Amino acid sequence: MTENRWSFPDLGLGIGLRTTHYSHILRENPEIGFFEILTENYLDTGGRPLHILDQICERYRVVMHGVSMSIGSTDPVDFDYLAKVKALARRSGALWISDHVCWTGVLGRNTHDLLPLPYTEESLRHAVEKIKIVQDYLDRPLVLENPSTYLEFADSDMTEWEFIARMAEEADCGLLFDVNNVYVSAYNHGFDPVAYIDAMPGARVCQYHLAGHTNKGTHIIDTHNDHVLDPVWELFGHTIRAVGLRATLLEWDADIPPFEVVHQEVLKAGQWRSKEIADVA
Amino acid sequence: MSHETGALNPDLGRLQRWMQEVISHPGPVEEAIVSPVAEREIPGENLGDVVLPSASMTSVERIGVYHGMYLMRMAEALQTDYPVLRYRLGDEAFAELVADYVQRFPSRSYTLNRLGDHLPQFLSEEQDRPDSEFLHDLARLELAMTQVYDEVEAPILSAEQLEAVPPEAWERAVLRPIPAFRLLAFKHAVIPDLVAYHEDRPSPRPRRRATWAAIYRRDYSVLRLELSRAEHDLLKALAGGTPLGEALARAAQAQKTSRQRPQIFKWFRTWIAEGLFTAIEV
Repeated sequence: MTENRWSFPDLGLGIGLRTTHYSHILRENPEIGFFEILTENYLDTGGRPLHILDQICERYRVVMHGVSMSIGSTDPVDFDYLAKVKALARRSGALWISDHVCWTGVLGRNTHDLLPLPYTEESLRHAVEKIKIVQDYLDRPLVLENPSTYLEFADSDMTEWEFIARMAEEADCGLLFDVNNVYVSAYNHGFDPVAYIDAMPGARVCQYHLAGHTNKGTHIIDTHNDHVLDPVWELFGHTIRAVGLRATLLEWDADIPPFEVVHQEVLKAGQWRSKEIADVA
Repeated sequence: MSHETGALNPDLGRLQRWMQEVISHPGPVEEAIVSPVAEREIPGENLGDVVLPSASMTSVERIGVYHGMYLMRMAEALQTDYPVLRYRLGDEAFAELVADYVQRFPSRSYTLNRLGDHLPQFLSEEQDRPDSEFLHDLARLELAMTQVYDEVEAPILSAEQLEAVPPEAWERAVLRPIPAFRLLAFKHAVIPDLVAYHEDRPSPRPRRRATWAAIYRRDYSVLRLELSRAEHDLLKALAGGTPLGEALARAAQAQKTSRQRPQIFKWFRTWIAEGLFTAIEV
């Protein structure tokens, strides 16, 4: 078990901040370690979302999680976007800024999907170069999440975990380790999720994600629409043993239940954290 | 991990242009991979050299997962901004509209909140779509509502600020509207659609009738004021920077009888009370 390289604090258990829970959170002040905000939801608004966010940030620790940095895209870095991200980080006091190891569009377009990269030397060089540019501009480390993917490119000449570990080292960036995504991709591509976890450079992992998914039989879709499934909890336990305790966030983005249900689900992660630490001790 | 296929080795840019073209194609995925634009990057017959099959899925099925989610995601985003339009059209017709729209106006922003900005324009150019003029008006109403929702907050003109204006300065005074304010003139009665949606009643038959409305935000809620033509014209003049004296004189002149003129002051009081203005400049 390791500390992360930047000494980002273990914020305990967190929940993805969603519109449907705004009034509950402001009314009940639930006890929760942190909230993760979806960056793009707060960039171009001066209305209610920002008004609520300001109140949340007064009461809770916050981290930012984006979906449009498109770090793997061959389009140039969008500095207008980055300027807004930087301003939001300043306003919200976000402890770190994360996005995904993916691309979302090219030729100025955005598909708003987290699309897979071929795991090649070319992609690696490209991603590393862009991450460095972004980090220089943001003046802080970027934290990137391993994606859930539904296809593999024939060109790939390394595994996803090799790619991500090398990317993190060469770009000197952080990692947001999504345990559910590893399970989803392992199912879809037939690799061993434990090998993936064991290959993660623990000192670069700053945060964990947990979520539910939908098994379609032939493949799994990362739907974030339900409880975390047992095999993912098992992998989470293994991750804690391999990497250590990190800020742990539950994502629930579709068919979102009342806040208490989401809260109860993330408290299960607390039980896993306690169990694994007790076992190690 | 080297795969033993006849890998095509497209460069990253080419691979991304190809994949974007395939997944955003409006037809079935089998058509998408042989579309002329996609084939310019990677010939459809070479798909297996680019995307590997899995134990349970073919290469086509795997790229099809992304293809299938694209339009669903676009429809989901647009129905958030245009719920009344979707309610009127129904799921199927709305999905068709979305598919046509995003072909012409794909997202070019980091946020899906701006995806629907061109929908009124798109509908105005789609004259062969049933009720296209009505749908254009309805889309303008809903776009105004989303714009007002996201506008920057500004202080509201207070009674104290108004009282501080010297009597001799009133005539030349200019009112500044809050940013979260839109004034709309329609060729059709679209507000009944909004009401029907909120009351879960069937959308009424489209009616061609000139109507006017102000959309604005107060305490972070989006509100509307239905207006007469005279109210609209006066509010338009005021929001456009016409000095108060001139705007009110013009409005008074437009009233047919002197009995109607006190109405102007009632309107004015309502607009101030609703917080439509942020400042008065003398």
